[in-house]
Amino acid sequence: MQTMVETRNLRKTYSRPDGSTIEAVKGVNLEIQQGEIFSLLGPNGAGKTTTISMISGLVEPTEGDATIGGFSITKQSMEAKRLMGFVPQEIALYPELSARQNLAFFGRMYGMGGKALRRRVDELLEFVDLADRQNDRIDTFSGGMKRRVNIAAGLLNSPPLVYMDEPTVGIDPQNRRRVLDTVKLLRDEHNMTVLYTTHLMEEAQELSDRVAIMDHGEIIAMGTQDELTQQVGEEDRLEFTIGAQEIAEAVFERIQGETPGVTRILFNPPEQLDEDSSVFAPALLTVFAKRGRTALPQILQELDSAGVEIQSVAVREPDLEAVFLALTGRALRD
Amino acid sequence: MMRKILAVAFKELYVTFRDRNLVLLMFATPLVLSTIIGMAFGGSGDSEVPDFADIAVAVVNLDEGADLQEMINLPDQLPNPDTFPIDAAALFPPLPDGVALNFGDQLAAILLSQPVEGAGTGAIGGFDPTEIGCSLLDESESGGAAAAPLGSLDDLLDATAMDSADQARAAVDSGEFAAAVIIPPGFSSQVAPQFAFDDDFIIRAQAPGEGGIVEVYASSGRPISARIVHSIVVGMVNQFVRVGVAFGATLETSANALAGGIARGEIELGAVDLSALSADLQELDATALEPLGCLITPGANNISAAQRPLEAIQEGHPFARVIVPAGAAQAVFFALFTGVFGIQSIYQERRNWTLQRMIVSPTPRIFLLAGKLLGNLVIVFLQILILLAALTLVASLVIGQPTLVWGGNIAAVLVVTLALSLCATGLGVFLVGLAKTPEQVNLFGPMVNISLAVLGGTFGFALPEQAARFSLIYWGVDAFTQLANAQTDFTLNLIVLFGQGVLLFLVGAWLFKRRLDL
Repeated sequence: MQTMVETRNLRKTYSRPDGSTIEAVKGVNLEIQQGEIFSLLGPNGAGKTTTISMISGLVEPTEGDATIGGFSITKQSMEAKRLMGFVPQEIALYPELSARQNLAFFGRMYGMGGKALRRRVDELLEFVDLADRQNDRIDTFSGGMKRRVNIAAGLLNSPPLVYMDEPTVGIDPQNRRRVLDTVKLLRDEHNMTVLYTTHLMEEAQELSDRVAIMDHGEIIAMGTQDELTQQVGEEDRLEFTIGAQEIAEAVFERIQGETPGVTRILFNPPEQLDEDSSVFAPALLTVFAKRGRTALPQILQELDSAGVEIQSVAVREPDLEAVFLALTGRALRD
Repeated sequence: MMRKILAVAFKELYVTFRDRNLVLLMFATPLVLSTIIGMAFGGSGDSEVPDFADIAVAVVNLDEGADLQEMINLPDQLPNPDTFPIDAAALFPPLPDGVALNFGDQLAAILLSQPVEGAGTGAIGGFDPTEIGCSLLDESESGGAAAAPLGSLDDLLDATAMDSADQARAAVDSGEFAAAVIIPPGFSSQVAPQFAFDDDFIIRAQAPGEGGIVEVYASSGRPISARIVHSIVVGMVNQFVRVGVAFGATLETSANALAGGIARGEIELGAVDLSALSADLQELDATALEPLGCLITPGANNISAAQRPLEAIQEGHPFARVIVPAGAAQAVFFALFTGVFGIQSIYQERRNWTLQRMIVSPTPRIFLLAGKLLGNLVIVFLQILILLAALTLVASLVIGQPTLVWGGNIAAVLVVTLALSLCATGLGVFLVGLAKTPEQVNLFGPMVNISLAVLGGTFGFALPEQAARFSLIYWGVDAFTQLANAQTDFTLNLIVLFGQGVLLFLVGAWLFKRRLDL
């Protein structure tokens, strides 16, 4: 298979007003093959968008380079950009213009014009099922419809590579499903390479051929889902959602010491949602156990006897969330 | 390349004019403000042309008069050679000294409100125009019952005699006089008809020669006064032409009768007394000149008053006089805001990620910058132009007739508008390029614009010209005011505006380029 995207030691450093620097991306090395959906998975602030911005030529790398179809994004940016489409997280459309006018305008930015552009706009409006609303202003569209036009605008030049930066943010489940299906369609029917960033483990799991997990500007794991889950072994995850209460360290020691199969325990205390709010996210107790369902009754009994108020329990088989948790000690939502 | 720049520019234009609130701010506000100022200080259109008195006029008379002998060209061969002397020149001996006709003297005397003497300076006939009422109405109106005299010529003009035409023109240019009336050499010869005898020894009038055109050199700063002087001079010259025609007819009849008598041997040549003819002439022109009190007699004539392009000068209705500077100032003032906030939309584009989407496309950033700036330049240009057109419409409605308040030189209006647009856009690019955040633009943009407006006199009070010259509004308003007065001496304004615009544009574009770095 042909390499579509390759990055070598991609690094980005920003200066703070006080003169200090912050390293947003710390030497990322990636290799994405043609025709695959490659996901960058990580919590907010992990460096996903900065990485994708450097690969797409939006932001100049402090160090390193990326090639798109063999063209350097820093030295042959125009050639590289011709091979890519871009679907940002934001609705990057002019609200005063209609769907058709938006697509036509961005098409001209790719050097398209005349009949070819009109035909392509027609195809894309059909593709995102908005042909009947093509002449309506964008600001009259629902969130999901805007997302669809946003995706269409990234496909105008029929690119072999398309970047999608969290394209399902802020939309309802129905439209989200539609977006995910569209992404799969691009790969399966149009043989497009998709570089997809998300902080939602479920999306990465559903879509990706390969996943790179990012945290604090670094890729901490990369591979197929099977390869990644093997990194955390065969352990199940038992997730206990509990109220805003503290648990004594002795309880954890007792569970780990006396319950068969339990290998380790992580506790995320209750979290204040924002500084001005009195609302807290519930505490999460995660217990890794080789036979989770077998261990569950005894753990419940221990927690009950310690007076812990349990709100919900979930038994999860090994997944990307577990990988992230295992590698960072934090949940993806953190 | 150009297609992408134009696409960005057109998008800017389209998005701007689709925003109803913005359009309201760009057009309705300055239009309403200018109209209110125009109505408040210029009246609603019922007022007449303002009263004028003591219009300063320089009068230069270079006319040397016309000799009667020169007016009649004798034939080479006279009939009846046995009876007449061979020497044809002896037929009409020269008139006595001081009997030469001088219409220039008379025209000057009327303008200077001095007593008019007869055609011959030695004659005693004549009249005093200060004793004659002067109605500033044309002939058709002056006969009407409703016509009322508005005053004498002496009240209207404050004329000063001068010796040199150049001196008089310079004095007009300096603003000392509203106009200079320059009576050229040969004026009398031109007014008085020329005659020649034909083969049958019948005297015939000849076509007038070239030259002898009275010049009204008008002050471009005082178009109404200059126009009044022009009208007066045209009326007078017409009257002189009538005198010339009457004189010619008398002369023709007399000369033919004389020639016939000589030819038939009825008149003894030695007994001919030409002084009697001169006396007739004096009586004739003194009578003919009497109606000069009623001066305005427009119409075709074979001697016209030469002048600077007064035809294009507006009559200067009070509303138009006020709305020109006020409207121009408001148009430029609001264009400055469009210049700043149009460019500032780059921040909005960045926030909405449309800028990023463009940058990710295979379009060099310099094209995006060029398209953005071109779009804004066109928007500002159209804004000023539409406001000028709308103000023309408002003025025409208020005045009650179609009025080109900005003058008839459309090409010049477009050039001045372009210069101002470049300046306003350049200032916007410069300010946005200089500011580090959109908040700084929001603060400093209006501050700079309002300061320029205060300096440029937008708010109704004028600062000393030395201070006002620091504002591009001053240069723009001054250029538009000159255009409205059919003046074309705004080269300096264009140099200042274009120079300032280009400089701000280049420095601003260089600074602004950083805003495209993400």
